[in-house]
Amino acid sequence: MPNLWNLIIQDPILNGLIALSSILPKEVQFGLAIIILTIIVRLILTPVTLRQLKSTKAMQDMQPKMQELQKKYGKNKQKLQQETMKLYKEAGVNPIGCMWPMLIQFPVWIGLYQSIMKALATTPENLLDLSRHLYSGEIISRALPLNSHFLWLDLSQPDSTMILAVLVGVSMWVQQKMTTAPPADPRQQSTSGMMTIMMPFMFGIFCMMFPSGLPLFWLASNIIGIATQYVVTGGWGYLRRTSTQTEPGRTGKRAR
Amino acid sequence: MKNKILICIGFFCFLVLTSGGCVGGQQKPVGFSGITAYDEILYLGSVDGKIMAVDPAARKEDLPFPSSTAEWSFSYTVPSKGISCGSSSVPIAIYGTPAVIDGSVCIGIYEGKVFMISPEARSQNLDFPQARSGEWAYPKADDVIERIVGSPVVADGTVYICCSDGRVYALDTTYGDEKWKSEPLGEKLWVTPVLREQTLYVSAFDGHIYALSAKDGSLLPWDFESEVGFVSSPVLYDDTIFVGSFDRSLYAIKIGDDKPLWTFPGGYWFWAAPVVKDGVVYAGCLDGKVYALDSKAGNVLWEFDTKKYIEDDRIVSSPVFVDDLLVVACESGEVYAINIADGMLVNKVSIGHPIRSSLCVQDDIVYIRSQDNYLYAVDVAKGKIDWEFPLTIE
Repeated sequence: MPNLWNLIIQDPILNGLIALSSILPKEVQFGLAIIILTIIVRLILTPVTLRQLKSTKAMQDMQPKMQELQKKYGKNKQKLQQETMKLYKEAGVNPIGCMWPMLIQFPVWIGLYQSIMKALATTPENLLDLSRHLYSGEIISRALPLNSHFLWLDLSQPDSTMILAVLVGVSMWVQQKMTTAPPADPRQQSTSGMMTIMMPFMFGIFCMMFPSGLPLFWLASNIIGIATQYVVTGGWGYLRRTSTQTEPGRTGKRAR
Repeated sequence: MKNKILICIGFFCFLVLTSGGCVGGQQKPVGFSGITAYDEILYLGSVDGKIMAVDPAARKEDLPFPSSTAEWSFSYTVPSKGISCGSSSVPIAIYGTPAVIDGSVCIGIYEGKVFMISPEARSQNLDFPQARSGEWAYPKADDVIERIVGSPVVADGTVYICCSDGRVYALDTTYGDEKWKSEPLGEKLWVTPVLREQTLYVSAFDGHIYALSAKDGSLLPWDFESEVGFVSSPVLYDDTIFVGSFDRSLYAIKIGDDKPLWTFPGGYWFWAAPVVKDGVVYAGCLDGKVYALDSKAGNVLWEFDTKKYIEDDRIVSSPVFVDDLLVVACESGEVYAINIADGMLVNKVSIGHPIRSSLCVQDDIVYIRSQDNYLYAVDVAKGKIDWEFPLTIE
């Protein structure tokens, strides 16, 4: 199983990353390769991402109707379930439709994560391990070992300045805010608000633990995600709506 | 429902990332220190970060450790960096082979320090460093330089050692004072320099062989430049440097020339430094083969394929000579004794655990430290393990 994983996912990504590094300027080769590969992977996964975004948007659009149903059949669970399923069917939405594109993307992201960690080869053991995964060819051997310096970062070490941690945290928060609809139910608001803060905070902490090559990949991925959502949904989504909701005279209204 | 899904995804991400940091992704440095024999005592680093002196005679008789003042164990830990999955101090990692100078042991550690250790002070387990016994640490106190992977080279009262900051350091053997440090030579240096007549030769990841003055560390006019980085430490024989490259070739470079004398393509990297005897270069390769090459022309005299015995085996450590036998240890734990004349297998011993460390020979016995943290004494002529000793001992 691990060999199949390496054969199909990890090794092609790893060698792609190294091959890409070999054609980039030595001073920024690996940092730039991470960003470019993240863009390439994002582009390849665009159909899946679009499908996920559309599913998520359809689910969000159904929220007012869902809340009406909850109000109407809140006490009769069976009826509520039936009506909810009916609503899904009428809207042509699969409730787990936004999950499977995410699941398809997951192995690729894990592969990319593993490849970045492997390619950095910070210790002699890592370099020896890396040698097991490399394809033959001048383009690969010419890039080795990779230059781990990029801007102010040593990509093989955690970023001590915490700049990357803040950037990753903020970009993740923006991305989440753009997609997460503020729940109308006040009981759910605190939970939802907590989730929107917790995830960026957790990743901010991870940035201080992991070699900064990985947070760089997260940052690139978040920025591309924000850009994609901006283009697909035609704006800042719920990020703008949430901020306008709190303006005086607009409380409780959804901005258009 | 949605929140539950988000919480589940968040938790899953946390598990994946945490396990990646602690278990997968990157391996923690463990080290594969080589062994030095001096005055009937073996000096080496253990997998759990100890520097040890082991008396083979006492180990053969299975006496309690330490059996005498000649045997000792020196443990050194460093504080773990950042948010750690484990304890707040971690054992050091040692990749180099110790050098012994007038009875004192010199070693560089991966965490960026160079130690001079006095057997006398260590046998009494005194605080380190005991300046009166000639002990020192460079840099002093809690300061560190970058990672050290190569071994120290000692000559004329000076310790020369390469560092991951790309510099070569020259330290005084008596007090550990810095005599000089070179300008950064490209990227990190994970190699052992070679010294000849006041000139240090260093192979670098940036594809250069640098020549430095041993007096002041200044760069000498000649250097060799390749498009591909060098992965192994250089070996000097006559006026030719033999070194492995990331392009899977072994290079023979005559000092003063700007083109290689010859290159030999292997199946993979020549990670281990080759050994040379009577005009023949013996090079172990990560492709699992040992090549015997004519040092002048680079043509193959014979090759020995360990993959005939163990699939996908690799040679990480340098071979050694025992009389007319070439002893090669593989990553799988197999040890082969090969006739240097024709490359035929004479004996085979199985350790059963990965071997990455440099081997050591004393009185026709080969000493091997494997990654299971045991020291093995192998009698290759008889094809058997003489004794084994757990280095985990306190």
